[in-house]
Amino acid sequence: MEKDRILKRLQEIVGPANVLWKEVDLAVFEYDAGLDKEKPSFVVFTQTAEDVAQVVKFLHQEGISYVARGSGTNLSGGTIPLNRGVVIELSRMNRILEIDLQNERALVEPGVYNLTLQNALAPQGYYYAPDPASQKVSTLGGNFGENAGGPHCLKYGVTGNHVLGAEFVWPNGEKTWIGSKAVDPPGPDLLGLLVGSEGTLGIATKILVRIMRSPERVLTMLAIFKNLEDAGQTVSDIISEGIIPATLEIMDNMMIRAVEESMHAGYPLDAEAVLIIELDGLSDGMEEQAQRILELCQKNGVVSTRRAKDAAERADLWAGRRGAFGAVARLAPSYLVCDGTVPRTQLPAALSAVKKVGQKYNLAVGNVFHAGDGNLHPLILFDDRNPEEMERVHRAGMEILKICADLGGTISGEHGIGTEKLKGMPLVFRDSDLDMMRTLKMAIDPKAVCNPGKVIPQT
Amino acid sequence: MAPDKDFPSSPLGNPGNASPGVQGLQSLGVQVKRVEKPAAEKEAREILARASQDRQTIFSCGGGTSLSSGVLPEKVDLVLDTTGMNKVLDFDPRNLNLEVAAGMTLDRINEFLAGQEKGFFLPLDPPGSNRATLGGAYAANSSGPMRLRYGTLRDLVLGVRGIDSRGREIAFGGKTVKNVSGYDFTKFLIGSAGSLCLITSAVIRVYPLPEASSLCDLVFGTLEELEKFLAALRSSVFIPSAVAVTELAGGPGVSDSAGVRFRVRIGLEGHRLAVERQNKVLPNLAREFGGFGDARTGRDGMLREIRSAVNSDRPFENPLFLKISVPIAQGPRTFVSIHTAARQYGLAAKVVLCPANGLLFLFAEGSSRKPAGDLLRDLKDLIAAAGGYLGPLLAHRSLLVNWGARVEPALHQLAFQPIKDRLDPTGVFPAIV
Repeated sequence: MEKDRILKRLQEIVGPANVLWKEVDLAVFEYDAGLDKEKPSFVVFTQTAEDVAQVVKFLHQEGISYVARGSGTNLSGGTIPLNRGVVIELSRMNRILEIDLQNERALVEPGVYNLTLQNALAPQGYYYAPDPASQKVSTLGGNFGENAGGPHCLKYGVTGNHVLGAEFVWPNGEKTWIGSKAVDPPGPDLLGLLVGSEGTLGIATKILVRIMRSPERVLTMLAIFKNLEDAGQTVSDIISEGIIPATLEIMDNMMIRAVEESMHAGYPLDAEAVLIIELDGLSDGMEEQAQRILELCQKNGVVSTRRAKDAAERADLWAGRRGAFGAVARLAPSYLVCDGTVPRTQLPAALSAVKKVGQKYNLAVGNVFHAGDGNLHPLILFDDRNPEEMERVHRAGMEILKICADLGGTISGEHGIGTEKLKGMPLVFRDSDLDMMRTLKMAIDPKAVCNPGKVIPQT
Repeated sequence: MAPDKDFPSSPLGNPGNASPGVQGLQSLGVQVKRVEKPAAEKEAREILARASQDRQTIFSCGGGTSLSSGVLPEKVDLVLDTTGMNKVLDFDPRNLNLEVAAGMTLDRINEFLAGQEKGFFLPLDPPGSNRATLGGAYAANSSGPMRLRYGTLRDLVLGVRGIDSRGREIAFGGKTVKNVSGYDFTKFLIGSAGSLCLITSAVIRVYPLPEASSLCDLVFGTLEELEKFLAALRSSVFIPSAVAVTELAGGPGVSDSAGVRFRVRIGLEGHRLAVERQNKVLPNLAREFGGFGDARTGRDGMLREIRSAVNSDRPFENPLFLKISVPIAQGPRTFVSIHTAARQYGLAAKVVLCPANGLLFLFAEGSSRKPAGDLLRDLKDLIAAAGGYLGPLLAHRSLLVNWGARVEPALHQLAFQPIKDRLDPTGVFPAIV
């Protein structure tokens, strides 16, 4: 009866066709791109910000937990509806509301795919800098929640550096606007806090982002190495030299093979590691900078280098990189992607240590990562039908996080904490720090209904 | 240490033994009972723990360049002068980051960085950088023209350490350029004006000194010319490091009689070939829209001119310094409107526009309360109509009494005040805006 009453009210708010309640329908929403699973009690498809506000207000009154969801591409269990909460599905709120070139801003709904915005901007000579590998399907609302990064964030920063405003539904259903087309709203940087809070402090229903003029020239190079550590050392040397390219991405042999089998991006199969280097900006001086980078590659024993001849070859190289996570499906039924980040000079040490972890736990580990940011993405491959192997995977994952923390880094660079890394939080925070986070969560969401059980470990 | 030539050593002309920040606070109408000047985080923690236990109120200040960016209390039990905590704690040139105590001034940080073997810099250039401390800049979310290329503290800060209202150490972020572990207090505390905790140190990104730098110095006769040029620059492929617009009338150099009104200083940095190209192209672009000028190569000159643009030209007895932001396209017209409003009330004001960000600064004399108060009221309406924000950097308490809410009341009620109440339940720190 209780369930019927809740269903009836949700249907009143968004319409009967926009609420899923049958177990078979709900099964699709019990997982995201992470490992954890839990089935929601309802899935509500909202069409407007007012829908979201009304649904949240009702759930808040009832003390029912909820989680907002876009495409569910997050890799840390952030959109799993713990305690059989309600999933508020935002993917139908997918309009680009405004592109304002004069003020260099774009206003979007949360369900807009990252790539959709890029495609809308490109013909006008503009782009939106954050470009997660999942950009074809990940939504800007999800990018907001996770503070998504991407290959080009090395030079231009992550989502949080580009969000200037948001219409926001708070955990009690109140809706306010934060920020505007003008910079620097007064008071503490609330947007800086909300971006990356993994949907635990509320839901963004409109997002105002900074857009940038496309660069005059882009130069993409591929450097092939005989081992992964040399590629890592090259990245460290490039940064130490004071050169900040647009991207520095590394892929190891296991990932190269998977990508080539999947999409023939043009990577050499015999390479132990490839480093994708991209420069952008004014064309003047770019050749000299490229030459200096090649010298650093040579210093670290590069086997060969090549440039993307044209836009098509460049697109192929990037398609391979962006499709890497998907391509590992050819290698194993499941994977756990770690997201630890280290100071860039620690990359060789971190890569070496990760390799040893794979050997220790007898697990295949592939690497494809944002090397310029020091953001590792070891992919531990496994079969989730094998509980014993799953157990080893979890232990190996935690050990990799500890390695990153011990090297002066952190446990998540861009995928978030979600449920998967909760146990790792004490590796990088003291009790007083975690207590401050809990206190903040309590201040904003005292009934703990807004995506509870994520980000902060319970005491 | 750089002499206090850009910013008055004591903006309120009240010399004494106390540091400029403390003097400034008193002169802005805040009654101060006691001042402590810790030399290190540990000492600050002990002071704060004692004060918290005794239920004393604490106001932290650095160089005193943005004292009014938060809520100025009528009286405060203890002023914690952070300028004693002024050391570099760690410098990692290979990872391009620097950990520095909160009380070190931005100019001192840049002197330290420039003196390193390869040479580095921190691209943070708010007004008064000779006195502004890193902690103060962080608390006030300070920035200057260089934010165009390098961003603000939101983009530059990697980690922060501080002390909470109970005297406990807290630390967020770290030394990596990407970090989404937990709630991002590193960002949330930016602009918090000492209302949530005491900032003791921060880890910041630094940049290697560019191969080449130059200043493109242009003038324009009319607002229309200026607007067209700025729009063309914005939509071009060029990305200057800094752009600052000032009005020439009353300023040095060219007078009104020459028929020019606006001076645009553009800082360029990067590869020498890229800088050389822009040195040629930008004056030509200016000519297309009726302006003229030239470019001069050299870093010191460029920095000096950009700094000069964004600082007050003279000391003020009772400063009324404001930070204003509007949508980018409205910058030039707002710039002129602010000038007009100041003149209307007989206030000799310097106004600076950072056009690529829609950011403006106003420096005026606030000694005569009536015109200053009237100007504030008019500007508040003007900026609200433009969809922007107006915030005081330095302004006497009496001018701010009727200021009203600085943030949307709903936002204050839903987020800022509940967070403040929980993080600082006994009200050790000043009220949140």
